[in-house]
Amino acid sequence: MDGNDQTCPKCKTTKYRNPAMILMVNACGHALCESCVELLFAKGSGACPECKCALRRQNFRIQLFEDPAVDKEVDIRKRILKEFNKRQEDFSTLREYNDYLEEVENIIFNLVFDVDSTNTNKMIDNYKKENKDITMKNRNRQSQEEIELEELLEAEKAQQSEKANSYVNAELEEKKQKHKAREKLIDELMFSDADAKSIVASHVQATAALAKEQPKAAAQAGGPVVKSSKFSSGIQIGLRQNTSSFLPIPKQQDLPLFHYSAPVFDYNGPSPPAIEVLGKLKYFANIRAANATERAGGYTEALSCCRALQEAMGGLFYIPQSGHKTAVAASAEETDDMETA
Amino acid sequence: MFATSTQRSFWMFKDENDVSNARLSANIKYISSRGRNMTVEEQELHFLNVTEEKILIMSYEYQLRDFCRKFLPPMPRYVIGTALHYLKRFYVNNSVMDYPPKEILVTCVYLACKVEEFNVSMDQFVGNLKGDREKAASIILNNELLLMQQLDYQLTVHNPFRPLEGLMIDMKTRFPTFSDPERLRSGIDEFLEQVFYTDAILIYSPSQISLAAIIHSASTSKENVDEYITKILFSEDQKRLLNLIEAVKKIRVMVRNVQTPHRDVIKALEKKLQLCCNPDNNSESPAFKKRMKQSFDDEESFEDGQYPSANSDQVRSMLMGMSEMGKI
Repeated sequence: MDGNDQTCPKCKTTKYRNPAMILMVNACGHALCESCVELLFAKGSGACPECKCALRRQNFRIQLFEDPAVDKEVDIRKRILKEFNKRQEDFSTLREYNDYLEEVENIIFNLVFDVDSTNTNKMIDNYKKENKDITMKNRNRQSQEEIELEELLEAEKAQQSEKANSYVNAELEEKKQKHKAREKLIDELMFSDADAKSIVASHVQATAALAKEQPKAAAQAGGPVVKSSKFSSGIQIGLRQNTSSFLPIPKQQDLPLFHYSAPVFDYNGPSPPAIEVLGKLKYFANIRAANATERAGGYTEALSCCRALQEAMGGLFYIPQSGHKTAVAASAEETDDMETA
Repeated sequence: MFATSTQRSFWMFKDENDVSNARLSANIKYISSRGRNMTVEEQELHFLNVTEEKILIMSYEYQLRDFCRKFLPPMPRYVIGTALHYLKRFYVNNSVMDYPPKEILVTCVYLACKVEEFNVSMDQFVGNLKGDREKAASIILNNELLLMQQLDYQLTVHNPFRPLEGLMIDMKTRFPTFSDPERLRSGIDEFLEQVFYTDAILIYSPSQISLAAIIHSASTSKENVDEYITKILFSEDQKRLLNLIEAVKKIRVMVRNVQTPHRDVIKALEKKLQLCCNPDNNSESPAFKKRMKQSFDDEESFEDGQYPSANSDQVRSMLMGMSEMGKI
């Protein structure tokens, strides 16, 4: 009812006469109907017909409140709070924080009622310059909180739909079972030779038993679905909760798969036969075979034979050369110093 | 494997000159630190020179071997080999005068037992020594860390014994025309024993040494294994064969030149050593006792004065007893 006597100040159209009329508001806080906006701001920019201040068409928004001044105030508040987004944690005392809030309110008031606008704008500019970092930081924090909130809402929605689904399913199931029971009863009455009364009695008993079981079944059907996102205490399971309180678990990098490559030994000598072919080359004829006790521990004669051969061949090509004697001498000197000290 | 071992990287020398240069620098370092206010003539008279040191070390190597031979339970020879390696390595970088060789000797054996997994307890070990066993035990434990430090904690030693077995197996398998290589055993063992008194183990790889032992043993028993080496072992590497022949020749020369030091010479050198040894490291010197006493007083867990005030004659008799063993 109240909305019906809204009037466009330019073309005097009222909501009553044209229910499709939508009033729009811009920064100055003066309303215009949608068709007037289209007409006046066909070029994209122009002056407000009431206060003559320059406006852009882009900045027109649908009027939400009855009084366009409120809309203006909301708009300004939104804009200012985007910049003045300090929190209580950013101040050392409560007093300072309250002073800050009051200052913000003053600024908003000044802008809304056009009091001392030059000085106010200067103040805003100064503040912007001085508090760039904090503003950015807080903005990010806010956006993160918003994301979390959205996620929470989404999760709730999903949960609700799941619950609804489970109820629907349970109901369907119940109906099916009832149907089955009835059919069974009819079958029995038709084909059984037993007393009809006793058949009906046993049927009543069976349905009663079923009815008892059903709530359990329904709970079971609903239970696991809920569990997947929440504990019984209402604490959420999974990453969503983690992002708000803990660092996310670092993902394991996708490393290339391990490929085994046989080690290459530098024997510095003729290469000894491989352990697998020792038997074929009849090496075992000349060594003591491992006895049962030794074999039990995994030892075979091939192991010692292979090692002996490796050591026999290894180093046969060795050419004498000086080791790291200087390094040894240097370290010896150090220790000597330590001892005499 | 020898090719990638610390033995190869840090404890091998180019030739005998290289080894004696290292010993010389250790000798010079000690003399210049102890004999600062002496003339060159006095220094020569007072201190041992490199050749004297070398003779002394050799006599201690003999002592070490004899000690190990009589050791109970019987000690495998690779433990002896490792102990000899340790002794050689220790006195390549240190002067005999700096650290008392008798103490280092037993410590080398003790450490070798551990490293080569020849399990003897300390009580068992000092049971093989004469004299004050408790004191001997504390000497060994005191020196053990020093020894390991001087060895740069590179304790794995590649002895020529396993390569020898490998070569014997290989000969039996791939060189069947040579009947029963086991005949050469006694000659080989003798050669390998002698080779530990030379610097060959600091110059050539263990497999080269064991091959030299086989060749030497074969040639003394009028056999010939050249075919095995040229046709089978080095069939694909004729170029490297020359290098090996050179190495084998030099090892055999070194072994041939081993001379057991004369007893009188050793006695004279021992006397000289007692005068010029480093009192800070000598457990019989008052300076050492004072130092030890101080450190023991700091550690109250030890019975006061037990170690520093122990009868020094006992130690001497113990260690002299060992040197007596060497002469027998």
